Amino acid sequence: MNMRVVVKIGGDLLKGDAPNVPLIEDLKELVEGRGLAIVHGGGDLVTEMAKRLGKEQRFIVSPEGFKSRYTDRETAEIYAMVMAGEINTKIVGLLQSFGINAIGLSGFDGGLLRAERKERLVIVDEQGRKRAIEGGYTGKITSVNTRLLEILMGEGYTPVISPLAMGMKFEPLNVDGDRTTSAVAKAIRADAVIYLTDVEGVLLDGKIVPKISIVEVDELLKRIGAGMSTKIHAAVDAVRGGVGRAIITSGFVERPILDALEGRRGTVISL
Amino acid sequence: MKLKCPECDGDIEVKEVIEGEILSCNDCGAELEVNKKKDGSIELKVAESEGEDWGE
Repeated sequence: MNMRVVVKIGGDLLKGDAPNVPLIEDLKELVEGRGLAIVHGGGDLVTEMAKRLGKEQRFIVSPEGFKSRYTDRETAEIYAMVMAGEINTKIVGLLQSFGINAIGLSGFDGGLLRAERKERLVIVDEQGRKRAIEGGYTGKITSVNTRLLEILMGEGYTPVISPLAMGMKFEPLNVDGDRTTSAVAKAIRADAVIYLTDVEGVLLDGKIVPKISIVEVDELLKRIGAGMSTKIHAAVDAVRGGVGRAIITSGFVERPILDALEGRRGTVISL
Repeated sequence: MKLKCPECDGDIEVKEVIEGEILSCNDCGAELEVNKKKDGSIELKVAESEGEDWGE
């Protein structure tokens, strides 16, 4: 195993009936001779399922303008069902069909992801007032079972991890997929972490930024939209935690991962 | 209504507030959460700040 890579697959990459063949072919090449772990998202599919089950989803907005799902107990159960059930098995099945020996894991399996539940969240309510509310079932990852990943990857398995953590009281917790990816990458001391998305990288004034140093990131964050800034925060967290480099790039192109690793695509975040 | 900032002891003048509302202290800048006590009175406590990663 000469290189370790963690790849985050966004929810939009999972939509549609036809598989994303260029992406899967890249993953397959990465598996051969390298250590690969995959983390997936899929928040939109959770929302769709909740709607089908008649569970209204409440969205909350932070003072900085980030919109997030409010995860109450019932939503946490739907979240677990969709993330660890529907989406994870779909990805594992797809990868298996292409000859990748994928193994599906949630944060519960082998205590892979432990998290502390957030007690309070500060939101901006409908009247524009800042308020603290109960944190619900969201969490911050506190530990990753690195040994489990080492064993699986050492035996040639490709872990496919859903962003569902096990809380301190063994409750299901909704954890951010990008942050989960960073936590996994740091735990296995990955050489690279790749966040696949639907744009070609970090855009500034309509142009892709090819490289960002973590020293200049704060200045840049002031000029970038909320959606991308969560990815940048996660990328910076990974690099500060010892990951060689983080790359934000599109998953909808030919050779999405290999080109990014060879420096031909995306935005690279490094020291 | 006049309340005390638990951080700097400065005075904070408030009109209508709701449980959980976050106020800023004009003197020290602390973010404070409105807490209604059992007897109906109001106190301010330093707001706990949680990161932005609230899940998927």
